[in-house]
Amino acid sequence: MSASETPVPQDPADALAAVMALRRMADNLEDAAVEQAMRAGWTWPQVAEALGVTRQAVHRKHAKRLIAAGVKLRRRSP
Amino acid sequence: MTTFQRYFHTIITEGGVEAQRDGAATIEACHLLLAVAAQEGTAPQRLLAEAGLDHQGVRAALQREFEHSLNSVGVSTAAFTMPRPSPALKRPSGMGASGRQVLDRIFTGNRKKDLRPMHVLIAILRAEVGKVPRALDLTGVDRAGLLARAVEDVTNTTE
Repeated sequence: MSASETPVPQDPADALAAVMALRRMADNLEDAAVEQAMRAGWTWPQVAEALGVTRQAVHRKHAKRLIAAGVKLRRRSP
Repeated sequence: MTTFQRYFHTIITEGGVEAQRDGAATIEACHLLLAVAAQEGTAPQRLLAEAGLDHQGVRAALQREFEHSLNSVGVSTAAFTMPRPSPALKRPSGMGASGRQVLDRIFTGNRKKDLRPMHVLIAILRAEVGKVPRALDLTGVDRAGLLARAVEDVTNTTE
């Protein structure tokens, strides 16, 4: 959908709520996408680069959850 | 431990479970509301249920608010599907901004010995903006009426 079809909501409450909802959606999407990538054999540096964050940041945020979920993690590229 | 302390502890713990289920890093007001709606046999739960807000009803209202907010900027949750991520290993125990505001409202202006479970619901319903009031408004709940009944209940109990 183009920006011209969906203008920013007139009501500030709607616009602010949209920010919150988009953040939540992005967070959930990040969790799912990182898990999908690591299950597919990506490494932490690759995922970090794709997300535009440091390897430490992505590892700190997702490693424990993925280990608990039984995802086999690769540390570096072959 | 008083009845209120036990209830409060349960709400914070269950709020953390709701936050974990939601994929949230902290406990927010919406998670506290879900926890309140889940405590069968308590006065706040009964009041919510009378307004059509059982646990499932609250969850549906929050989801509706989420989808409505996304739709207002042209985003649809139905537009794509991703596998559901594995849940966080640790249950969140820290309060988010809206959760902290609920706690502030519970403990500000109330004497500790007067606190009742209903004060938790009152503190949640007193929010004028944010996810919870929007969710209740979108569901057609009379927020002011619900709050008035909660205040009346606590006044009658204290007297």
